[in-house]
Amino acid sequence: MSEALVDLRRAGRVGVSAVLLITLSLTALGGFWLLSLNLGRAVVQWRDRVRVVVFLKDEPTPSALADLTSRVEGLDGVHRVRYVSKAEALSSLRQSLGAQSGVVDHLPRNPLPASLEVTPAEGATTPEATRALAAKLAAFPETEEVQGGAEWVEGLARWQRLFQVVALAVGAVLALAAILTVTTATTLVLHARRAETEVMRLVGASESVVRVPQLLQGMVQGLLGAVVALGLLEVAYAVGAPRLEPLLQLTLGLARAVFLSLPQILLLIAGGAILGGLGGLLARGRAVA
Amino acid sequence: MIRLHRVCKLFQGGPMKLPALNDVSFTVDKGEFVVLSGASGAGKTTLLRLLYADEQASEGDIEVAGFNVTNLRRSEIPHLRRSLGIVFQDAKLLAGRTVFENIAFVLRVLGAARHEITPKAFQALKAVGLSTRAQAYPAQLSQGEAQRVALARAIVKSPALLLADEPTGNLDEEMAGEIIDLIKDIWSRGTTVLFATHQSRLAAQLKRRTLRLDSGVLTKDEG
Repeated sequence: MSEALVDLRRAGRVGVSAVLLITLSLTALGGFWLLSLNLGRAVVQWRDRVRVVVFLKDEPTPSALADLTSRVEGLDGVHRVRYVSKAEALSSLRQSLGAQSGVVDHLPRNPLPASLEVTPAEGATTPEATRALAAKLAAFPETEEVQGGAEWVEGLARWQRLFQVVALAVGAVLALAAILTVTTATTLVLHARRAETEVMRLVGASESVVRVPQLLQGMVQGLLGAVVALGLLEVAYAVGAPRLEPLLQLTLGLARAVFLSLPQILLLIAGGAILGGLGGLLARGRAVA
Repeated sequence: MIRLHRVCKLFQGGPMKLPALNDVSFTVDKGEFVVLSGASGAGKTTLLRLLYADEQASEGDIEVAGFNVTNLRRSEIPHLRRSLGIVFQDAKLLAGRTVFENIAFVLRVLGAARHEITPKAFQALKAVGLSTRAQAYPAQLSQGEAQRVALARAIVKSPALLLADEPTGNLDEEMAGEIIDLIKDIWSRGTTVLFATHQSRLAAQLKRRTLRLDSGVLTKDEG
């Protein structure tokens, strides 16, 4: 390890550049990961809130309602059915109008229909499943109209997947640049210590003894880059999250943005070490060649 | 200790393959001191490089210190080299390390126990008469001293075979004599020695079995 640290000092500016590039690539990767992570939470949250609403032609009698509810509950992909009477619908409208709720009192009669709020079962919240459920519900003779579905949630999920792809693409390009820079830094060090390497080989040092310092040097660069990247992400989160949270609440319904979990942080650090180590190994290959 | 059977080594020279060694066969028994003589370019260094597996023979079989060098896998080369001590015309000392560190470096990279390194390194330096120069850097040494450090580095791991490739080539007569005396001393303690030199007078003075190479062909084996 001490050899590796001495070598890193020998690498000078190229070594620093390698650390910076690893920092950049892991910061970009981590940044996209954070976005994707929070979008993913929104998707899960909204998937839980998917409802299909069946507006009824007439307010059913208690026995007709029991019969209708049991028929709806008997359909595949239905988790729960809740009846919303005309009166309850009006009361909800009044609540959501807030200060303007007086408008409702001027209506000659309650114009809102009674409805059934159908919660799809887990696994049946995809657009296809909700469309199929809506079609079945629309075929009921009591049904006036069916609304709701999961299209927009899937739109959100598509954004999340897009973020993941962009994160991987940007991360991969920067990671490649980082690996090449570590390779260059390690190759320079190898060149500087070629006399040492020659003596090591001549006296019979095993290849692992010859190569481990190069591997460790790369890994140290990777670890340094990962730690700095995490520091930057942490600062960006601490500064940005409180400012973004009201917007997230309004648009995505997320009360707060979360940071990477401990396993994710460890994964990012390991990623840095692997990037650096890979650079070190490639340098060895070039030096041997 | 060494067995070569019909060894050829060809090097690519443009479109042609040039023979550096041609049908070389000989054996060196354990405990022998053998001189390998020949003019510059006769193939002495190539032969030594084949022995420590720095080059591969184009044809023939080579056995060194119990290793079949002809079919040696890359991963086995370090094992072969651990049983060899190698010195060159150029001492190949590490400029940034002291004399002591140059010796200790070998023990360290070979995985010697920490408590063994200092006594063994000093023992090797004492054997070549340089224990008082342990803290000097290579740049502060004469050529003779540098070569003695190279010898100390070669023997610190107690090799079964010492390969010396023109170790006196850069030295004046007096210094060369000192190095030869040291090598004889190492040999007298049981190490087999193969000593390559282009200096035919020196080869004659040594009065040992001599193998002579001329343009890659073994032309003499006597003594």
